Amino acid sequence: MTRKILIRRGTLVLPDKKTLMDGDILIEGGVITRIEKGILDPQACVIDASGFLVGPGFVNLHVHFREPGGEAKETLETGAKAAARGGFTAVLAMPNTSPPLDNPIIVQALVLKAQRLPFTRILFAGAISRGCQGGEMAEYGLLKEAGVVALSDDGTSVESSRLLYLAFQYAQYFGLPFILHEEDEELSRDGHMHEGTTSFLLGYKGIPRVAEDSRIARDILLALGTGARVHFTHLSTEMSVTLLRLFKGKALLSADVTPHHLLLTAEDVPRLGNLAKVKPPLRERRDIEALKAGIAEGIIDILASDHAPHTLEDKEGSFTDAAFGISNLEVTVPLYVKALVEEGVIDWIELWRKLSYNPAQFLGFEDKGVLAEGKTADITILDPQTEWEVDVAQFESKGKNCPFQGWSLRGWPVYTIVGGRVVMAERRIVDGEFC
Amino acid sequence: MWTHQHLTGICHLSREDILFILSRAMYWRELLEHSPKSSDILSGYSMVCLFFEPSTRTRTSFEMAGKLLGMNVINFSLEGSSLEKGESFRDTVRTITRMKADVLVVRHRASGIPEYLATFLPCHIVNAGDGLREHPTQALLDLLAMQRTFGSIENLQVAIIGDVLHSRVARSLVLALKKLGNKVIVSGPPTLVPKDVEALGAVRIFPVEKAAEGADVVYLLRIQRERQEAGYFPSLREYAQFFGFKENLLRQLQKPAVVMHPGPVNRGVEIEYSLVERDVSLIEEQVTCGVAVRMAVLEILLREGKVR
Repeated sequence: MTRKILIRRGTLVLPDKKTLMDGDILIEGGVITRIEKGILDPQACVIDASGFLVGPGFVNLHVHFREPGGEAKETLETGAKAAARGGFTAVLAMPNTSPPLDNPIIVQALVLKAQRLPFTRILFAGAISRGCQGGEMAEYGLLKEAGVVALSDDGTSVESSRLLYLAFQYAQYFGLPFILHEEDEELSRDGHMHEGTTSFLLGYKGIPRVAEDSRIARDILLALGTGARVHFTHLSTEMSVTLLRLFKGKALLSADVTPHHLLLTAEDVPRLGNLAKVKPPLRERRDIEALKAGIAEGIIDILASDHAPHTLEDKEGSFTDAAFGISNLEVTVPLYVKALVEEGVIDWIELWRKLSYNPAQFLGFEDKGVLAEGKTADITILDPQTEWEVDVAQFESKGKNCPFQGWSLRGWPVYTIVGGRVVMAERRIVDGEFC
Repeated sequence: MWTHQHLTGICHLSREDILFILSRAMYWRELLEHSPKSSDILSGYSMVCLFFEPSTRTRTSFEMAGKLLGMNVINFSLEGSSLEKGESFRDTVRTITRMKADVLVVRHRASGIPEYLATFLPCHIVNAGDGLREHPTQALLDLLAMQRTFGSIENLQVAIIGDVLHSRVARSLVLALKKLGNKVIVSGPPTLVPKDVEALGAVRIFPVEKAAEGADVVYLLRIQRERQEAGYFPSLREYAQFFGFKENLLRQLQKPAVVMHPGPVNRGVEIEYSLVERDVSLIEEQVTCGVAVRMAVLEILLREGKVR
């Protein structure tokens, strides 16, 4: 039995209505029961949100929680705690685990395990292809029954146009959307970073932009030809935005970015080393400008993480030996505040919309991404002013592979409430024992 | 007024043609109930069954129909034929018809073969299934089974479920049902139920449960394993679970429906194991109707159809 919670004097963010309002929120039995000014309830545990933004919980379409098979890098529990610290009340875990999430039995087991963790709602994407091998379609109907909410072969790109053409048609029967990692591996093979001046000078083989662009072009056309709901994740190039702009409104398309692709470039690789090794690779200034323009225009309508935790060992050694990936779930929101709000690309409301309402809509969740009476109390409270330094030592995530160590940021989530239960308070995990 | 030399597809038939065949088929269907059941109206005519694809029921059914009408029936066997010695398809069929066959019943994996044969052979061509295109006698026997069940073959609602894309049965059946003014709904995996089927007048409805609602007939198509290998659906267990027809789904329908299937049946895949032999199943009646319809077709072609 959860206690009543009263959030007082906050500035409420209503992303579906694209507006801010002053008001208090009363939560009873896990549900938002009242939203109005000046609520008094002596039995409720009170959160003083004055000076804070209060809105629907953030929904993250792209995290890697590594379970099963990669528990040294992350588990559902450490990932869920990292999500709570990051202000995310729901996260979508990618299926490129070991074994991959192509089997309904495995998904069922993970769903059960995730339900016992209070810190965030862990959702699962099922594999597009068996074993994420790109050969045969996975069992989408059975996977959906087991609990998957989307399909992805993230970590790799579907090479076969025929497989994707059939999968795009077949999955519509079950109403499952696709999340595509776009990379022509013939073009990216042996590449370690963005193909350009820096890779040339450092002597690393490069990953050209066209590895991403060519696949996005193909898959936009496949989406157009089949009517599938297709989302492109972790865009990194200028041309990807141009392509999506060209087909905006003509097919059911959407896209997300990561914070690191907005804040770092290939030129940061010599300084950051292995911590800056990521797929898709950090590009150039002009790509960042194009991505920001895409975000401002709404072509990129979702902000995600691609939280990719690794062990220290996996990130050690030479640049060419190190694993790809950045652990960023706990700093995603303040990084976006820096890249987008402080730069004037979008305002707080639009930021919140791309972090909650839009991804919830993509997944078809009527109950999420909206702050309203009668809705489940998944709420994030954010302090827009106070600056804190990024300290990976405080990460709940097992992955300390974060290139933003020491950055001074503002816009940190300070409370996370999942189903009426406070799971993070003042940037610490509280496991429901807040009041 | 019958004007056709051949039966290569339902697409060439008028509503009156179909009703004419059905009226004769109904006569033969009644005759089949009583033994001894032979007639000699086609005595002295010969028929060659040329099957370039495996078949049990269709070939046997044609053979039975021909023999019951007193015809000489010859089955051409692919094994040991000159085709295996490298003779061309065209020469093989020309040779056989030079033996003065009156009717050539042909099944071939290539769509359009019966029409091709009709351009140069002097006999009656009956299509027993060409590629993905048509299987007219199957559609006619299905209509006969429906007519016997419902007393009429107009204003019925038929839900066809399964691999419409690769089904010559579906193409012929949709054409025939629409020509007689019935409502046809198609459903199944979207990969196997192309939008283009709507050009024949059928309506696509997903999911299967919704497609079957209100139907007089739920017509299940055979699913072939090679369609899975070709990537159209992921597994037989998933197919059975989401697209297979089950007793509990039948019970959920507000209106009682009969179940049909062209055979051979994959029990436990497109149709639940126990449903095949239930009284709602017309599957065995379809087989009997097959003989009657083929008797009618042979009779009409040889007595009414003019050879050039």
